[in-house]
Amino acid sequence: MVMLETNEPMFDGPIPGESLTAELGARPWQSPPQYSNVDEVLDYYLSRMSQEDFMVQLVDVLEMGVPVSAIANSIQLSGVMQGLHTIDSGILVMPALMEMIMMLGDAADVKYETGLDNPNKGVTRDTLLAKVASQYKKKLEDTDIKEAVEEKDDEPEEQYSSGLMARRK
Amino acid sequence: MSMYGSTRGYNPGVTMYKNMDIENMPKQQEPQKTGGLLARKPMDMMSKNMNYSNPAIRVAKQMEVIRNFRNRMKNGDA
Repeated sequence: MVMLETNEPMFDGPIPGESLTAELGARPWQSPPQYSNVDEVLDYYLSRMSQEDFMVQLVDVLEMGVPVSAIANSIQLSGVMQGLHTIDSGILVMPALMEMIMMLGDAADVKYETGLDNPNKGVTRDTLLAKVASQYKKKLEDTDIKEAVEEKDDEPEEQYSSGLMARRK
Repeated sequence: MSMYGSTRGYNPGVTMYKNMDIENMPKQQEPQKTGGLLARKPMDMMSKNMNYSNPAIRVAKQMEVIRNFRNRMKNGDA
C-alpha cells in the first residue's frame, strides 16, 4: 500500500466544540460587519494596499515565494476575523485583491508566483501508480508460470546455420 | 503544498480569479450625440449591458481598471 505524504500538520485543526467556548457575539466575526458591501470592502483594501508600509511588506513576502492567491486569501481572512466584513464579501473581492497584488509586484519588478497554475499538472499520481502495480500483481498471480514455461519449451527452436551456402530466409 | 498555492486546502480565490472573464465583458457604449431636448438620454445604456446590482460585476469592473493599469505599466505607457 502506498502512503501519501503530506506536509500539512494533522492535528492543527480546531478542537470540536471550540467555537462554543466563547459567548455568542463575543467574537468580532459574530457581530455585524463594519463594511457591508463589496464597494466599501474594496475601498478599504485598495486604500490600505496603497500605503507604503504595506507595499514594502508585500514585496518581501512575494520575494519569499508565497503565491499571490495565498496572500489574498490571508488578507481577506484576517479582515473577516477582525469583523471588517463577512466571509462572502471577502471571497467576492479576492480576484481584485489578487490583481492589485500582482500590479504591486509588477511595479516593484518582483518575480512572483500567482498560485493559479496547478503544481501537480503533468505529475504522475501516486494513486495511479499504486493501481497499475496492483493490476500487474494480480495478473501475475493469475498466470500459471509453469504452464507458460512448458508451452515455450514445446516450440521448436529455430536452427541457424552460419555457412556461406546456408539457405536464406 | 496543496491545491493551487494555498497551504490550507482549496482556495476559492483561484476559481474566482479564473472565472472573472473581464476581457469579454460587455463594454460601455459611447453615447450617440443627439441634439434636441427630447432626445433619449443614455442613462439606461449601461444598465442594459450589465447588471450592476450584482456585486461580482462591480468587482469585475474594479478589477478591469486595475488590470488595464497593470497592462499599461507593463507596456511602459503608465
